[in-house]
Amino acid sequence: MDRDTAIGGPHGHFPSTQVSLLEAAASGVPNEALERVIALYWKPVYRFIRFKFGKDNEDAKDLTQSFFASALERDFFARFDPSKASFRTYLRMAVERFAANQHAAQNRQKRGGDIEFEPLEEQAAGTTESPEQVFEREWQRQLFALALDELRAHCEASGKQLQFAIFEAYDLAGAERPSYAGLAAQHGIAETSVTNHLAWARRMLRGFVTERLRGVTSGERELREEMRRLWT
Amino acid sequence: MDLSDSVLDHLRHTAALPDLTGTRYELEGEIGRGGMGVVYRARDRDLDRRVALKVLDAEMEGEARLIARLEHPAIVPIHETGRLPDGRAFYAMKLVAGVRLDHYLAQAPSLAERLRVIRRVGEALAYAHTTGAIHRDLKPQNVMVGEFGEVYVMDWGMDAVAGTPGFRAPETRLDRFSDIYALGALLAFVLTSPGPQALAGPSALRAIAAKAMQADPAARYPDTTALLADIERFQEGLAVGAWAEPWGHRLRRFGSRNAVLLWLLAAYAGVKFVLFFLRNL
Repeated sequence: MDRDTAIGGPHGHFPSTQVSLLEAAASGVPNEALERVIALYWKPVYRFIRFKFGKDNEDAKDLTQSFFASALERDFFARFDPSKASFRTYLRMAVERFAANQHAAQNRQKRGGDIEFEPLEEQAAGTTESPEQVFEREWQRQLFALALDELRAHCEASGKQLQFAIFEAYDLAGAERPSYAGLAAQHGIAETSVTNHLAWARRMLRGFVTERLRGVTSGERELREEMRRLWT
Repeated sequence: MDLSDSVLDHLRHTAALPDLTGTRYELEGEIGRGGMGVVYRARDRDLDRRVALKVLDAEMEGEARLIARLEHPAIVPIHETGRLPDGRAFYAMKLVAGVRLDHYLAQAPSLAERLRVIRRVGEALAYAHTTGAIHRDLKPQNVMVGEFGEVYVMDWGMDAVAGTPGFRAPETRLDRFSDIYALGALLAFVLTSPGPQALAGPSALRAIAAKAMQADPAARYPDTTALLADIERFQEGLAVGAWAEPWGHRLRRFGSRNAVLLWLLAAYAGVKFVLFFLRNL
C-alpha cells in the first residue's frame, strides 16, 4: 500500500475560546465549526476511508475532501442529534455512508452497472484493529497532536521553552525515557524542578485537549463521555 | 506532529493522572473508576493517613458538596473537597478497607447476612431522601462491605448519571422512586447472586423486590422505609404487604411462628385425652 498523506487539515486559525459545536452551528457560523471539525477529523476520516474501502492515497484524499465539502453543503451539523450518538460516531457513520455511495458509483461506472465492493477488511491483514478502531485511534492521535501544537506555541509565547524541552525529552521520547536526574543535570536544575515542569506541561496539555474536545462536542455530557473514553 | 502509538498511550496515561501540586496529598495508585470519575489511593501528608481521593471527570464539585452534607454511618465521610490545578474537582474521603457487594456475595453469606446488608443500604437511602439527595446509580458495585461488616453506599450520583441497566428504573427522570426501584433490584440480586446454585429467595422477599421494581413508580413502595418495614416483617415471620400469601403458606408461617404455643396446646390436649381415657376405664 502507498504511504499515507502528510495532510492533517488546516492549522492555526481556531478561535481562542471554543464554543461548542452545536452553539456554533446554531449561531449561524457553521464554517467556523467545520474548520474545527476538519482540523481534528481530516486525518481520521482519511485513514478510515483507506482502511475500510481499500482506497489508495489519492482516492482517499479526494473522498475525504469531497466528504467535508458535502458536509458543508448539506446541513451536516443541523442534522446532528446528540441524544442519538456522539458527534464522533455520527461523523464516522456519515463518512461510511458517503464513501460507500461514492465507491458504488465508481464501480458502476467502471463495470457498466455492476456494483462490486472490495473486501472491506482487505487491509486488515496483519492487524487486529477494525476500521472503526483505526478511526478512533487516529482521532485520539490527531487530538493530542493539535493539543501539543498549542502547548508548544504557548510555551514559546510565554517564555517556557525549558518546560517544553523537558516535557518533550521525557513524555514525547519515542525510545527509552531519560531519568529525572539526567534531565536535571542536563538543564542545570533541581530534580524537583523537572517533576514540577513535567506536571505543569501535562496539566496544560490536558487543558488544551479538553478545550479541543469541548469545541467538537454537543455539551457537558458528551464532553464528559469523550474524556472518559480518552483517559481510560 | 506525528505521534507513535506508544507515545500516544503514554500521553493519555500521564495527562489523565491528577496533578496534586499544592494539595496535601500524594498519589499512591488507582483504586477504581466510578460513575463520574476515578478513585485513587493517596496519602494525606498533614495527618499521615491514607485516604481515597475521587477526581471527577469534569467540573462537578456539586457531587462533592452533595455527599459532604450526608452524614450517616453507611455513607463514606468526606474529609475535604477541592479543585486540582487543572480545574477538575476532587474530594478526599475515608479509605474503606473492604470488598464490593458483588464480590462479598461470592463468599456465600447467609440469607440473614444478605438482608442485613440490604437493610443498611436502605437506611442510608432513606436518610439521604430526607435531605433531598438521591443516589441515581445504586448497584452492587457501589456498595462496599468492610472487614468488620460495616456497609457503605458509594458513588452518590449527579444529574448526569444515567443509572446502570438492570438496576435503572424505566422512567426518564430519576427521583427517589428510581432509588426504590434500584433497591428492589439490589434485593433481587443479593437473593440470587452469585449464580444459579445460590438461593432463589423466599417468595415473600421476591415479592418485595418485584413490588419495588414495578414499572409504574406509583405502584412501588411509597418510600424506602416502607420497603424496609416489609423486609423486617418477613424476618419476624409476619405477612408482608407485597405478597398475597396462599392459605397453605399462611398456616405454615403461623405454625412456625407460634410453634411453642401449638406444642403447649397439643400437650394440653394430649393430657386431657389421657385423663378422659383413664376416667372411663
